[in-house]
Amino acid sequence: MKLDSKVPGGPLQEKWDKHIKDINLVAPNNKRKFEIIVVGTGLAGGAAAASFAELGYNVRSFCIQDSARRAHSIAAQGGINAAKNYPNDGDSIWRLFYDTIKGGDYRSREANVYRLAQVSNEIIDQAVAQGVPFAREYGGTLANRSFGGAQVSRTFYARGQTGQQLLLGAYQAMMRQVHSGKIKYHPRHEMLDVVVIDGQARGIITRDLVSGELCRWEADAVVLATGGYGNVFYLSTNAKNSNVTAAWRAHKRGAAFANPCYVQVHPTCIPVSGDYQSKLTLMSESLRNDGRVWVPRKKGDDRHPNDIPEDERYYYLEERYPSFGNLVPRDVASRNAKMVCDDGLGVGETGLAVYLDFRDAIKRDGKDTISAKYGNLFEMYENITGENPYERPMRIYPAVHYTMGGLWVDYNLETTIPGLFAAGEANFSDHGANRLGASALMQGLSDGYFVLPYTIGDYLAKQEPGKRYGTDHEAFAEAESEAQAQIDKLLNIDGDRTIIDFHRELGKIVWDKIGIARNAEGLKQAIQEIRALREEFWQNVKVPGEKNNYNKYLEFAARVADFFELAELMAEDALDREESAGCHLREEYQTEEGEALRNDEDYSYVAAWEYKGLNGKLEEELHKEDLEFEFVELKQRSYK
Amino acid sequence: MPSLIKALNSQVGRKIMTGITGIGLMLFLIGHLAGNFSIFGEAEAFNKYTHTLESLGPLLYLIEAGLAFFFLYHAILGISIWRQRKKARPEGYDTYRTKGGPSHQTLASKSMIYTGIIILVFLVLHIWHFKFGPSYTTMVDGTEMRDLRRLVIEEFTNPLVAFGYIGVLALAILHLAHGAWSAFTSLGMKHGETSKKVQFGAYIFAIVLMLGFIFIPLYIFLTGGEGSLIAY
Amino acid sequence: MSKEMTIHLKYWKQNGPNAKGYFEEYTLDSVNEHMSFLEMLDVLNEELMLAGKEPVEFDYDCREGICGSCNLVINGQAHGPKERVAACQLHMRNYSDGDHITIEPPRAAAFPVIKDLVVDRNAFDRIIEAGGYVSVKTGSAPEANAIPIEKEDADTAFDYATCIGCGACVAACPNASASLFTGAKIAHLNKLPQGEVERKNRVVAMVDQMKEEGFGDCSNYAECEAVCPVGISISAIAEMRRDYMKAVMSGD
Repeated sequence: MKLDSKVPGGPLQEKWDKHIKDINLVAPNNKRKFEIIVVGTGLAGGAAAASFAELGYNVRSFCIQDSARRAHSIAAQGGINAAKNYPNDGDSIWRLFYDTIKGGDYRSREANVYRLAQVSNEIIDQAVAQGVPFAREYGGTLANRSFGGAQVSRTFYARGQTGQQLLLGAYQAMMRQVHSGKIKYHPRHEMLDVVVIDGQARGIITRDLVSGELCRWEADAVVLATGGYGNVFYLSTNAKNSNVTAAWRAHKRGAAFANPCYVQVHPTCIPVSGDYQSKLTLMSESLRNDGRVWVPRKKGDDRHPNDIPEDERYYYLEERYPSFGNLVPRDVASRNAKMVCDDGLGVGETGLAVYLDFRDAIKRDGKDTISAKYGNLFEMYENITGENPYERPMRIYPAVHYTMGGLWVDYNLETTIPGLFAAGEANFSDHGANRLGASALMQGLSDGYFVLPYTIGDYLAKQEPGKRYGTDHEAFAEAESEAQAQIDKLLNIDGDRTIIDFHRELGKIVWDKIGIARNAEGLKQAIQEIRALREEFWQNVKVPGEKNNYNKYLEFAARVADFFELAELMAEDALDREESAGCHLREEYQTEEGEALRNDEDYSYVAAWEYKGLNGKLEEELHKEDLEFEFVELKQRSYK
Repeated sequence: MPSLIKALNSQVGRKIMTGITGIGLMLFLIGHLAGNFSIFGEAEAFNKYTHTLESLGPLLYLIEAGLAFFFLYHAILGISIWRQRKKARPEGYDTYRTKGGPSHQTLASKSMIYTGIIILVFLVLHIWHFKFGPSYTTMVDGTEMRDLRRLVIEEFTNPLVAFGYIGVLALAILHLAHGAWSAFTSLGMKHGETSKKVQFGAYIFAIVLMLGFIFIPLYIFLTGGEGSLIAY
Repeated sequence: MSKEMTIHLKYWKQNGPNAKGYFEEYTLDSVNEHMSFLEMLDVLNEELMLAGKEPVEFDYDCREGICGSCNLVINGQAHGPKERVAACQLHMRNYSDGDHITIEPPRAAAFPVIKDLVVDRNAFDRIIEAGGYVSVKTGSAPEANAIPIEKEDADTAFDYATCIGCGACVAACPNASASLFTGAKIAHLNKLPQGEVERKNRVVAMVDQMKEEGFGDCSNYAECEAVCPVGISISAIAEMRRDYMKAVMSGD
């Protein structure tokens, strides 16, 4: 396998424009002859499907939910960045690019990130034209806010539901093309394999989740926009159906998987309350603008938080990071919360929580001001926990939120399988080792609206229009029978432990050992434990129901099976990366002050893993794409 | 744009027409009540009033046809909407309850189809009673005219008729209380402060109007047709 | 410490779209007050599966009230007794020890049952398909600030745009009408200058599609507003009616 990033030459600012000028175009009469499969209908998938259809391609769109509108992009709260510089506060494409690459701790590809910053402005134009009701000023212009510690106000938002509004915009654009007949729409279909013929992606196998039937679909190109793999942790802020299956199966067919160990943990989530817990709920990190994070100084202090006097409270972020205080980046805040809880200072029934206290803010600004800013978040917190945050500090804990790793793609978003593209969170993306707030929506839409529509044309232009192998081709038959065999196998085990039981245990291993802080010993242990548990899973899992009917637990079983394999790769990747970068903190590699210590000399590369087989242990070969920084200077992050 | 027929048959059109016919019928009822009250006026005022109406000739037929059209259209829409509801939910709930709050699910709104059908049946009887009932005549100022007043008094001294009317009119309060608000909502009134006032007004309107109608049979029955309010 | 309670459940089972459905009953003994309603059903399914029985299927995804997947009718109320939340945000602390809970799928001809509590809501997709969009091609958009929009209009449009498409409005409507869903999208887009251009065609096409799908008429019960997890007002329906009238009156 050879990794060719295909980044065009020339100055950074001109690469994308030059690339657009140089790439091949498909003639309009030929576009009709091409069919593109898009798997996933989130921001990236929905935007791509709609844009392809507008260009005249025939599109088939698949999603696992009952409607394209339910893709998990819908849950994004905060906002979307763009370098519009409307507030006149000194923002520019360059600054957005620079902040993003620095935020990613210099582990992303310069050219991609610059392009992302470049098209960010068009995304806002597009969304507004679609009727996305962004927040506005009284003068009628778009409102901006500063988000996630950025020094400029470049975030566009629609109250706390920016993801929902942008997704509905993409969904509606897509439904318009469904209406025109250019998109064939297949909700409740799960992709189980990608079909590769003569080294090119030529189609997919799906399971119709209603009838249970396996279906074969042929196309000239396949786009995976299937989201991230945060659910490998069992508990995450991801939707329950979010999974790695499509990406992982593509990986097993030859698509390299990049940087699987880069996982973002969000510091302000509502803590776990018991074993039955099925997911974690995120609260906007804007809460840290006014809330103060603390734990009792004394271990096992079970007094009511309001009874703990000031000098017995440990405001650990303010003490350790005097200049940024409670506003340190997500990874730093998360890591510190875990550290104080590991030291036994955590609060609540489980001891896995810290206080986020609004007492002083309420005293300073009044309850009304705080309520105007955070009323809906406070309400949500009270609804979930039954506690009133106006009277008692919130309890928060970090939770897995976003995965920066994913399928390796070149500048054209093409994976190492020709004709197979990956977009949005499913690719290893532009966020390096850490994603900044309000940039996931930007990347998903950039890939879908403004990158893929060009780059996929470049690929298709080199293909013979209308060429069909037919779904009777042996590659389709083989892929289908493999998928069928796995389903049969799962249903026949009839063991003693439920799928959730296995998933929860896997999640605990991954959280404890491949979570916020990692070390070689723990990672090695994790690999052993994952293998053993995977072995047991295949002997003792209990999958109910029939294959030829709606069967949610069968879907889950197959997804958990893939998580078991991915988890091992995550540990391998984390073990390989003997440095700390962004969200990836190796305890062995820290500065004296306990900060992440990068090793640019040896680890300034994208780790792209090639699947070699699975035989009790996962066999993968590491390929390195060296990251060259022509235009930015690498610096150590510091938030002291 | 859709043809008018298609528009009238759409789910918005059906509701708008229910509202328009409903408002038309309410206006008619106001006029009807005002006319009825002439029974309490000077002697023969009631008969003179009905005679004037009858002497309109072809114009009266036109008005009657219009009224009949409004009634029937309103009734057909109501029944059709109710039938669509059965089609739209063939299998009902084992348990169903309203969530309250902004909901307008009340005894009045839930019984529209029933109160409506009762009113429809009543209407047939009402017309049969008075329009096609015994035709007494009387001389007023030298003109021979129908003595409808006598018929009214005769009928309402019969307890069955009087209390039958009172009962139906009481049920009509329910129909109007939801209907008067709903008609405006169907015509595009938004949910808000105005809507709340309209709902309150609808209750008052329904009660006042129907108490007005009820007063006549009740008074006639209680006084045996010889009350001092009815002039001779 | 958190409270545990016993809950008696009665839920709808139906093996497929054409199978005959029936109610099944089960008593859960240790329901934690902090569980969400759906987590309680997870626990039910775990018990059922370990006992070798079939779990009960229900739709869910985000479990934070935004995706609109869950749509259970709980004791006769769409999304259960609490106002302005989806079933996934309903917590068991709203119930007491010994409570009986009946769980049914939304009942509507336009939402046929797929299995147990899972229904097919693609009728909603087809209503959006009929006109619930602004016809703008990728790349052809003018500069975002080129058309100023009054803050109040933008806010109102946003309120209507927050619909999560769960179908509680249909489930709770005595007529099984989809008017709130349809009206919300029409009101959102027609309120904005970008959507204004196609307002007439949009309202007519969407209203027609709503009928085509077999939903009932709106009788102004306003029950939809009462159950809507995001509190969309029936003013959306008023907007739809106004726009429809205007479209018909304008003739062309």
